[in-house]
Amino acid sequence: MIRTTVFAASLGLAGTLAHADTLTFYTAGPGGLADALAEAFQAETGITVNVFQGTTGQVMARLEAEESNPQADVVVSASWGSAVDMHERGLLMEYMSPNAQAVPDDLKHSHYTAQGISALALVWNTQSDAPRPSEWSDLTDEAYRDLVTMPDPAQSGTAFDLVAGLEAAMGEEAWELLAALADNDMIVPGPNAAALNPVLQGAKAVVFGAVDYISYGQAASGETIEVIVPESGTVIAPRPMIILGSTIQPEAAQQFVDFVLSDAGQELVAATWMMPARADIEGLRPGIDDLAVIEVDEDAVSARRDEIIARFNDTVINR
Amino acid sequence: MLRAQSVLTSLAAAALLVLVGLPVLFILLQAVFPQFARGSFDNAFASLAILTDNDRLLTQARNTLGLAFSVMLGCLIFGLPIGVLRGLFKVPGARVWDVVFLIPFLIPPFIAAIAWMMTLQPRGYLFQLAGFDLGHFLFSFTGVAFVMTLNLFPLVYFAVSRALEMVGGRFASAARVHGARPLQAFFLITLPLSIPAIAASLLIVFAMSIEEFGTPAALASRTGFEVLVTGIYTRLSDWPIDLSGAALGSVILMAMVLAAYILQNWIATRRSYISQTGKPSDLDKADLGPWRWPVLGLFTLVALIGVVIPLAAIGVTSVMGTISGGLNWANFDTRHYEPIFRAGSNAGKALLTSGWLAFMTAFATAIIGGVVAYIVVRGTGRGRVVMDGLSVLPNAIPAIVLAVGIILVWNSPYMPVSLYGTAGILLIAYIGILLPYPIRYAVARLRQISGSLDDAARVAGADQMQALRHIILPLMAPSLIAAMMLVFAIASRELVASIMLAPAGLRTVGTFVFAQFEQGSVQTGMAMSVIAITITSGILLAVNLWLSRQGSSAFSG
Repeated sequence: MIRTTVFAASLGLAGTLAHADTLTFYTAGPGGLADALAEAFQAETGITVNVFQGTTGQVMARLEAEESNPQADVVVSASWGSAVDMHERGLLMEYMSPNAQAVPDDLKHSHYTAQGISALALVWNTQSDAPRPSEWSDLTDEAYRDLVTMPDPAQSGTAFDLVAGLEAAMGEEAWELLAALADNDMIVPGPNAAALNPVLQGAKAVVFGAVDYISYGQAASGETIEVIVPESGTVIAPRPMIILGSTIQPEAAQQFVDFVLSDAGQELVAATWMMPARADIEGLRPGIDDLAVIEVDEDAVSARRDEIIARFNDTVINR
Repeated sequence: MLRAQSVLTSLAAAALLVLVGLPVLFILLQAVFPQFARGSFDNAFASLAILTDNDRLLTQARNTLGLAFSVMLGCLIFGLPIGVLRGLFKVPGARVWDVVFLIPFLIPPFIAAIAWMMTLQPRGYLFQLAGFDLGHFLFSFTGVAFVMTLNLFPLVYFAVSRALEMVGGRFASAARVHGARPLQAFFLITLPLSIPAIAASLLIVFAMSIEEFGTPAALASRTGFEVLVTGIYTRLSDWPIDLSGAALGSVILMAMVLAAYILQNWIATRRSYISQTGKPSDLDKADLGPWRWPVLGLFTLVALIGVVIPLAAIGVTSVMGTISGGLNWANFDTRHYEPIFRAGSNAGKALLTSGWLAFMTAFATAIIGGVVAYIVVRGTGRGRVVMDGLSVLPNAIPAIVLAVGIILVWNSPYMPVSLYGTAGILLIAYIGILLPYPIRYAVARLRQISGSLDDAARVAGADQMQALRHIILPLMAPSLIAAMMLVFAIASRELVASIMLAPAGLRTVGTFVFAQFEQGSVQTGMAMSVIAITITSGILLAVNLWLSRQGSSAFSG
């Protein structure tokens, strides 16, 4: 009797959640953006969007755990390589939104399109005793001993892209740089916010490789931090938006992708201090053309993901 | 009527098997067969190589044990002195202290850890107020053990003070009558007779620190050491995931908790004859005299560290305009509460979701737990033996292990129905995680209810079910309600299973707050915690008031 009650209760809930007119949207990055997109989309189409928001690591892990029983329809990750990888495994549906015309060519593909773009930067607490850094390598200086944090590449898709990008630009020197940072007592406390929070209170002075839009937003809300993009170049992290091939409602999923790339959708993206994917929508902050961008061969990098993470762990975390 | 009992037995057994048995079975299978989740039994025992190839799992196991022992020690230091004083002496404001030391149970451990971080780290609140920081202390093994101790020391305080009240009152007076001096009576009679209760509470502390997720999750990455729970979580939440490694870690974790529980159960049942005398004892506690003031000072100090500082740090953070603005009046701002109170906000939905989940969990666990306890204590024949064994099972399963098992079960190609991706999966996870409390409370209570009461009812013509309904159930009610309140408090802030199992579109208080710290605003996370802690304590206080008007206190169970 007890069991049937519990069972009936849960089945009842299942009924309300798996309604035909609902989309399931897994997304990395700011929870506020996902909710705002879902809300605006529902107002326009009447289709409910159920959001799961987490780090890129959590999103990808969930997709993998659910492989035999897929739940998501549309996914946004913060790492371009993850979309490349999923496409190679044949998990994606082909779709090019009509609204993607103004998206630059290298930010769209037959199976995935950028939702927005962030860049990786140094974030410095202007009230700290440490001097203002201007280059990645500045942080190996004694003045920054025990004062630097970095997001964990295993959890943050953008931090992974930075490590891969620095390796592409500098070769072995990138690993020497990371080792020197580790020698300078840099900590790797978790995903982006976990790396930024100690800097906000002043326990640490600089984030190495923070995703820039969170910090632009925090600075705008009055936190005493400055986003510094090194002149030697940085990595941009376009956030791929994909439709899973397993979706049972491809039309609604395509409608959602169209909406995210519409004027209204891209304005919501811009409001989070990200660069919108469409070149014809104005961002609140410096755009791609204002940055020295390090080119990364995503195909080559995504294939080496495990290797790069393992080497990062050996060099920095389990040093 | 025997039939009624066997129907009850089978239903309860089925519930335990589905809720807890299946997940454990699937974890064992996954640990042995790496391809199990994909429906294949190839490469048996291949994943055991993880143990020898890479010592990470073993390091985590060592760290877990080391931490659990340190927390036990810490709880002795924090909980024992005040527990002894409360149990043997007339401490001024004794009832108030009991309420104060319940508060740590209401603060989510993850939040408490963040609060300590923001207080003690360099440039934290302590530095801003006093000019120095304790960052090196906090971000160390000792620091993590310290924060976990503060979550758990009340268990020792309550166990010690209750045991001493009972033993100290009755048996020590007997010793005094026979000419023992007070100190002699304490060391020869009271202390030895209370040791089982103290040891049992320490073992619960041990088991709970082994399975604790929030504190290590918040602090361990800053400290550079992993425990099994965070290791299992990482294996499942970082891509690529490692199901077999997670299952293997879960097996080790289960073995540790099971060992602690069996030892605890052995100690606790050995002492049970003491508590069954059932005669009301006229407590004759000693006066503290001039020692009143140092004792009050000690209680205040423990309350300051264990309750006031974390609560203050949480409250203060929630009303700071900016974190970098620090502690000053110009930085006071309540704007981070706004997104929570906005109509239709996700925070509001999360509060509602956690509310009804916790409510349903409290009822379901009380029903299942009550039935299980009844069969274990009063049942007859084979059903009783089976149930006795099964009832141990939920105790041995840490929340994270149950979550792993539930993913394996409800996602598997072998299951005809899938609850995965529905709110139902959270409900069955919560029930499985929290079942031990009602079972433990109800078994303890039933052992105190004399069997002659049933017999009297039967002589008067009642059948077994009538005796159960009219005699046993009313007598069990206070302890079941106490267990339900505890279940409600814990379920309303459950974190680790919720993170791993909550379907898209469903947020709980725990996942909402966790997400705020991972990718949102620290102040909003703290604001949500303030609201949740206030609501939960409000509900618990109201129930307790109502109960005390009915003439019994829930926490005396």
